Amino acid sequence: MFGELDPLLLSQLRLAVMSYLVVTREAEFNVLKEKTGSTAGNLSVQIAKLQEAGYISVEKTFRNNYPLTICRITAAGVQAFESFFEDLKGYLEPDEKSPELD
Amino acid sequence: MESGEKKLSTQESIRVIQETIDLAKRNFRNDGFHFLLWGWLVAIASGLDWYLAVVRHYEKHSLAWLIMVLVGVPISLIREWRKRRYEKMYNIVRAWYGLIWLGYGISMALTILMSARWGISPIPFILVLTGFATYMSGILLKFTPLHFGAAVIWAGALWCLFLPTEQHLIVQGATAILGYLIPGYLLNSQSKNHVRGA
Repeated sequence: MFGELDPLLLSQLRLAVMSYLVVTREAEFNVLKEKTGSTAGNLSVQIAKLQEAGYISVEKTFRNNYPLTICRITAAGVQAFESFFEDLKGYLEPDEKSPELD
Repeated sequence: MESGEKKLSTQESIRVIQETIDLAKRNFRNDGFHFLLWGWLVAIASGLDWYLAVVRHYEKHSLAWLIMVLVGVPISLIREWRKRRYEKMYNIVRAWYGLIWLGYGISMALTILMSARWGISPIPFILVLTGFATYMSGILLKFTPLHFGAAVIWAGALWCLFLPTEQHLIVQGATAILGYLIPGYLLNSQSKNHVRGA
């Protein structure tokens, strides 16, 4: 039987944030906003949910006297993403299991 | 991505992952600097070694390779150090790329050591390793000319089987030009076009 898909990652924006961070490990808030094409408000809400689940950590600091928010994926986040992807593959038909994330 | 709460289907999830990972990986741009640097150094050192050994019959002809240590290593280290100061963000593609070439460096050092001990030419073995590292770089960077470069380097390794040892240097120099420099210049040109188009 297939594993149940993580409901936290069944959201377009949260999944996009996690996918981005899996590659870059960390990213500034503004970079995530630009890459996901989301609004600052919506992104803040979704980042808070991921942080609450322990999937990412958020560091608030300053650069040249301007506030800077850096999001980092945690080990638990990487594991959750990998499990989600494995579960996802289980739901696909055999002839659909072609996407390569290389 | 208008709403973070939109429930995704399986196919949509795969598409989001694929698209975002591709986007994140594009952040790692390679301008081919190291292919150009080492390509020129290998080509020059091979030619100089061959000239000193075959034409001038100079006993210490292998000293030509000091250029790699005296010029290549410091330039590479300074360049990487400066680059890391400006590009602080981690990127998994860059990390894999670095690890592949680190593994190559260790394997090459061991190959040279063992070949010297056994009194055989290290060049065919170095070319096999170089072909592999170039091929892997081509996969990571999704840059087909590096695959052709790797094929040329592997073919050069095979060709060495039919040549006397002193001519291995000529093959090595030629593969540096065809396998390193040509893809390196193409990579450099692609990187410049990307910067202009950005």
